[in-house]
This record gives sequence, structure tokens and C-alpha cells, in this order.
Amino acid sequence: MSGTRTAIRSLCTTSILTALCVLGAPAHAQATDTTRADTVARPFVRGGVYDKPFLTRIGGRSVIGGYAEAQARYERVDGRREQLGFEARRFNLFANARVSDFVRLGAELEVEDGGREISLEFAAIDVRVHAAFTLRTGMLLSPVGRFNLAHDSPLNEFTDRPLVSTQLLGVALSEPGIGAFGQFRAGGGGRLTYEAYATNGFHDGLILDSPDGTRVPRGADNFEDNNTTPSFVGRVAWSAGPAWELGISTHVGPYNTSRVDGAWIDRSRQVHIWALDAEGTLGGITASGEAAIVDVDVPEAMRGVFATRQSGAFVDLVRPFGRGWVRTMPGSAFAFKARWDLVDFDRALAGDSRQQFSAGVNFRPTQDTVLKLDFVRGRARDRFNNAADHAFALFSIATYF
Amino acid sequence: MKFARSIRPYSCALLLVTAGACGALLTEATPDADLLDVPLDGLSSTDLAAFARGDAEFSRPFSVREGLGPIFNDLSCAACHSGDGRGRPENVLTRIGTPADGFLASLGGPQIQSRAIPGASPEVVPVGVTLSLRLPPPVFGVGLIEAVPEAALLALADSADTNRDGISGRPNWVVPAAYVPGLSGARRIGRFGRKGQTATLLEQTVDAYHQDMGITTEQHPNDNLHPNDPASASDRANDPEIPSATVAAVVAYLRMLAPPAPGPETPDAVRGRALFTQAGCSACHVPTLTSGDAPIPALRGRTVTLYSDLLLHDMGPRLADARPDGSATGTEWKTPPLWGLRLMTRFLNGQAFLLHDGRARSIAEAIDWHGGEADRARTHWLGLSPADQRALLAFVGSR
Repeated sequence: MSGTRTAIRSLCTTSILTALCVLGAPAHAQATDTTRADTVARPFVRGGVYDKPFLTRIGGRSVIGGYAEAQARYERVDGRREQLGFEARRFNLFANARVSDFVRLGAELEVEDGGREISLEFAAIDVRVHAAFTLRTGMLLSPVGRFNLAHDSPLNEFTDRPLVSTQLLGVALSEPGIGAFGQFRAGGGGRLTYEAYATNGFHDGLILDSPDGTRVPRGADNFEDNNTTPSFVGRVAWSAGPAWELGISTHVGPYNTSRVDGAWIDRSRQVHIWALDAEGTLGGITASGEAAIVDVDVPEAMRGVFATRQSGAFVDLVRPFGRGWVRTMPGSAFAFKARWDLVDFDRALAGDSRQQFSAGVNFRPTQDTVLKLDFVRGRARDRFNNAADHAFALFSIATYF
Repeated sequence: MKFARSIRPYSCALLLVTAGACGALLTEATPDADLLDVPLDGLSSTDLAAFARGDAEFSRPFSVREGLGPIFNDLSCAACHSGDGRGRPENVLTRIGTPADGFLASLGGPQIQSRAIPGASPEVVPVGVTLSLRLPPPVFGVGLIEAVPEAALLALADSADTNRDGISGRPNWVVPAAYVPGLSGARRIGRFGRKGQTATLLEQTVDAYHQDMGITTEQHPNDNLHPNDPASASDRANDPEIPSATVAAVVAYLRMLAPPAPGPETPDAVRGRALFTQAGCSACHVPTLTSGDAPIPALRGRTVTLYSDLLLHDMGPRLADARPDGSATGTEWKTPPLWGLRLMTRFLNGQAFLLHDGRARSIAEAIDWHGGEADRARTHWLGLSPADQRALLAFVGSR
């Protein structure tokens, strides 16, 4: 009897230890966290603050995250104008919920410059019908070039975003809209992806709000379509494998208010953006770049000081090295980087452009955190084609969380 | 120890080279002497702060929502005056009408605004009217020009050519606008504008805001509208679109802008100076004047080496625009200052645009266009040997 009791005790102990080993952390968590999802049969207020699906049903499928970036900048222009300062550049919050096997919601709230600018950069509902077709609506990141779709600071190897993205297209460019995205197999390990949306497009601020001539970013944030005619934005990308991608994208639509109370006050004037992006890795060097052309139908009476055609391009080269050199951080790595950047605000003029070269070194303690040291040297030309040289020394830290 | 001592010079040299390279790497400053937008010597810290405020306003471009237009020529002061110097032919302004016909205000005069905001129509040059093209002039040194006493200019005037030298400079008497403090209704010598048609920097500034950019001020509180297109929209910004403080800041900035110092006295330039006088050029391009009283202490009692008498002269039919302005006739022009010619191409991509409409692409070409009262000087110039011509050009080009 005693032997049987001993055998049973031994079996129980073994079973408990095995269960603990198998379940590991969850078992430990269960031991310390006694909270449960709200599952009340009858809520205090139906649909009220404690009767939300993320509390009662979706539970652990709602997640929150984000990234933060801070930087120190030294800038000098023409050997005279100097600026030295620190910036709490960005604090972005991500929220993501897998509502069901077919419905997903993603959002990004951006807080810039210590709260001076707060914007909902992305908030889209995805309804997945098939890998080749997912319906998306909400506040969309416009697929104009690849950089606009993937521009998180911890991901970007440089402290500053490319000129073509910030000054020509206005990253992050997000618009209310609806459309679809999807992917197809394209031979071997290749695939073809697409995104296509109807959006509100740009508004006439791109000429009316801009004191510097035509500036597309000034026409963003068209939350209520000013011309009741949607714009179209789309990107098609082909990749032969994970390390290579080639994309072409366009954004076309009217920007001006052409009718008021049914009466025509101007003809419909279009903005047309074409962008080409590419990324690839060869010999340990990752190269990526983007080129864009912007055509704006500027009213004839404003031409000469407001550009009708603009363009820009950048190329990034990144070469990682020194993986594990820091012994206390075995997953750490360094990277050399270089970027060439150009934006031409008025193709009809010799001047009104900006060109720069950036170089530096990064250190990633882990993949999600990056310390960046950049040196930027460039030249801006005014409308008279007078040159002004600039140099920046930048140090920044960015991390996902 | 010995080693440390031996490497010290090399270390110092390396540090110096590194520092030098670092300076170049972080961009190097252009010497003040080669710029057109530096303040006068001797300004107080209060004046310098005002100068910086005015500099920012002078460079500030206007958007449509901020009040640009409804009709306009360009977006900012700096958009026409490159580096605070002269403009290019693309910035040339078209003036029409005369005092006799009210400057053809009903046709868009006195100045044609060739651009317009959406909903407004730009003005077009009317057919069959006399027009005069005006290149934006340099704006440096204008505070000193304003500070030259009228008596000094009148002493140079010789409207009846009593000394029979063929030069008969006379002032362009104008009546300043009623808003100019202390000068209401009083007759003054005009010293700004190609024909000296404006007496004060305040008028020059508010007129430029109103005419060139369509920006309203307390002095010109109403939008400059297209005269013949009643359907043409006004802009939606509240008037006045800039406060008096902004106008005052720009006027103060202009007053405090220093003229560039002349270049080095090379042997050619020294010889050219004598030839300049011998040819009679200095009869109109008077080398120096002296400033009198001025609102800013640094402007008072200074030698003003502008090479101008600020008076009107008949320049002959080839330069005539047949467009009287103030008391200036259609063949008269104010003697343009020669200071700053050393840097005339500095902010224009190496190109020179001289005379009132920028037609002359070199100093020699500008001299060739001289006529009327300057005919004798031009004839003298043409008679000079090539070496002497080069010396004279070296002198003028070093101012």
C-alpha cells in the first residue's frame, strides 16, 4: 500500500515537473497573473467602454508597439549660419488587431518634435479574401515609391529621410481611401505584388499654401476631397527573391477645386507622380533607391514662379560589418553607409535644386535598435542658381518597442 | 621625451591640416567683402538685431493664402534682387503710361503684373502703348543714398549747363506720399528708381510690396486688382497683409545694407581712374558724396563712394524709353551708382546685366550705349587705345 502511494506520489511529481517544463513561462505567468478577459454575459452598458471586442473576444490578438527616435544635429550653411540642437524627433505608436482570420486592423499614430505635430499616419482595415486580393480602407499609406511604405526610423539606415521622399513627395504621405492589395507567385521564388487605391488625392495647397513655388507635400492632408473626384494611387512590384525588388508606382488625380455649387470656376488640374524604386543585395552590399517625377498642371498665370515639372532621386548603399565585435552584445553589428540625394524643384530652371551626399556608420546592438552617425555635405541652388553649401553632422538613436 | 619633442611639430601640422580640412568639410564662409547683404560698420547691437529681422522679411516669400496677389510679379523681395544685387532679364518689370495719362491705370499701369493667383487674370501689356522695361536694381547702400543731403545734390546740378561742359544734371523733384512721416506735401529730390522717381525708402518698399507681390500694407491697404476684369478674384487674406512693423523692418534692413568696398588698386585700375576723370565720366558718376543726418547713427557723416550724382541726365535717343516719370523726361535717366560693379556677376551665374533694362552684358557695352549728355565721354572712350580702354574698364569694374 505504502509502495503504491509512493509510486503515485512519484508519478504526480514527475507529471507536474513535466508539465512545468513543457508549459514554461505560461505556467509561471498563470501563477502570477490572475486577470482574465472580460467575459460578462450582460455588460453594464452594451457596447460601452468595457464591452469592446478587444476586451471580450479578440483578447491577445490586439497588440501595441511603436518606435522612438531622438537625435543631435549640428548644421552649418555657407560657413555662417550654424545650428546645434537636440530633437525628440518621433514617438510613433503602432496598434494592430487581428479581428478574425479575415479581418485585420493596423494603425500608426505619429508624435513629432515633442508633440508639436500629432497625426494619424496610418489606420486601415484589411479584409482578406485571398492572398491575391485584400480589401483595404481607412487612412492609407500611399504606395508612391517604396520608401513611403517602409520609412520607420529604426529601419532607415540614415538619420534624415531622402530628399525625394521628404521634399518632393512628402513622406509620410497618407490619404483617406479605399482599394486592394495582393500578391501572386511569379516563377521560382519570385512574386508580384500590387497595391491600388482610390484616394482623396492632393488639394490646391500645393500651390496656394506654398511660398516657395510648387511643393506637393503642401497639398497633402486632403481629408475632405476638395474636388469630389478621386485620385488613383498604385504600385506594382516584382521580386525575384527576398533580397531583390523592383517597383513602379503612380499617383494621379486632380488637385484643384474646379466647380463651386455646380458652376465651373476652373478646369480640372492634375498632379501626376511617377516613381521607380529598387532594392537588392550583392556582395554583402545592400543597394536601394528611388526616382520620382512630378508633373503639376499649374495655372498659366502662375507659371514661371510655380514649377510644372519636378524630379528627384536617391541611392543608398549599406555594408554591414563587425557582427559580434562587441562581446557583451553578441547579436550586434556595424554598417557603413552612403547616400546620394538629389531633388530638382523646377526642371525648367538651372537652379532651384538641392543635392547632397551622406556617409556614416551605424551600430545595431540588436536588429531593432540603431545608433546612427551621419555626415551630410550638399549644395542647394536658389532660383537664380546661386549656390549655398551645407554640412550636417548628425547622431541619432532609434528603436522599435 | 626626445621622441615626443620630435613629433610635436608634425602633430601641430596635422592638427592644423585637420582643422583646415574640417572647416572646408563643414562649408566655408564667403568673405564679407564678396557679399552684397552685409550690414554697415558701426551698427549697434540693437541695429544689428533689427537688421537680422529685416533680412528675414526681405527674404520671406509669400504664398497665395498669405496674401500673394491677386496679381503679382514675384514671390518675395529677394526673388528679384539676387543676393541683394540686381535682377536678371527674367525679373524685368514692365512699366507703362506717363504722369500725363495717369500712368494708364485703366490698362494696368504703372506696372504690368504678368502673374495672377487662381481665379484672377494676369495683366497683359496693352497694344500700342509706350513701355519701359526696368531691371531690379541692387539694394545695397541705399541708406547712405537716402542720407545724402539735398543741398549736396543741388550743388552738383547744372540744369542750364552754365559751365558749358555738355552736362546738365538736374534733380527729379517729386512729392512724397502723404504717409511718409514729416514729408507730407513737401517737394523732395527723388533718388530711388531708374529715373529717381521716388524720394524715400519707405515709399519704395511699400510700392514694391503692393506692385511686385500684391501684398497690402497699412500704406496701401487695398489689393491691387486687375483694372479690366471685374470678375477677377481678390485674394482671401485679410488686409493689410503685413503689419507696419514688417515694413519698418525691411526699410531698416535696406538702410543698413553696406555697399561693397572697392577692389584692390591695381596699376591698371589706378591708370583707369585718371582716364575716367579725363574722359569726363566723373562729371555725372561723381566719385564721392557725404551723408548728412540720418535716423541711424552709423549712416551719419560717412563718405559715400557711389559714383553717381543722383541727378537726371539726357542719355540720348538710343537709351530713351519715351516714358516721363515725375519730372524726368522720356530721354532722361538718373545716373546709376557704379559701386558694387566688382561683384556685378557674383550672384547672376557669372553674367552681367547692365543699364535700366539689362541690355548691356558688359561695362564696355554699357558705355557704348551712352549718348546725349554722355556723348562727349563716349567719344573720348572710343578714342582711347585698347590698353587705355582696358585700364578704364579695370577701374570701373573694380568699384
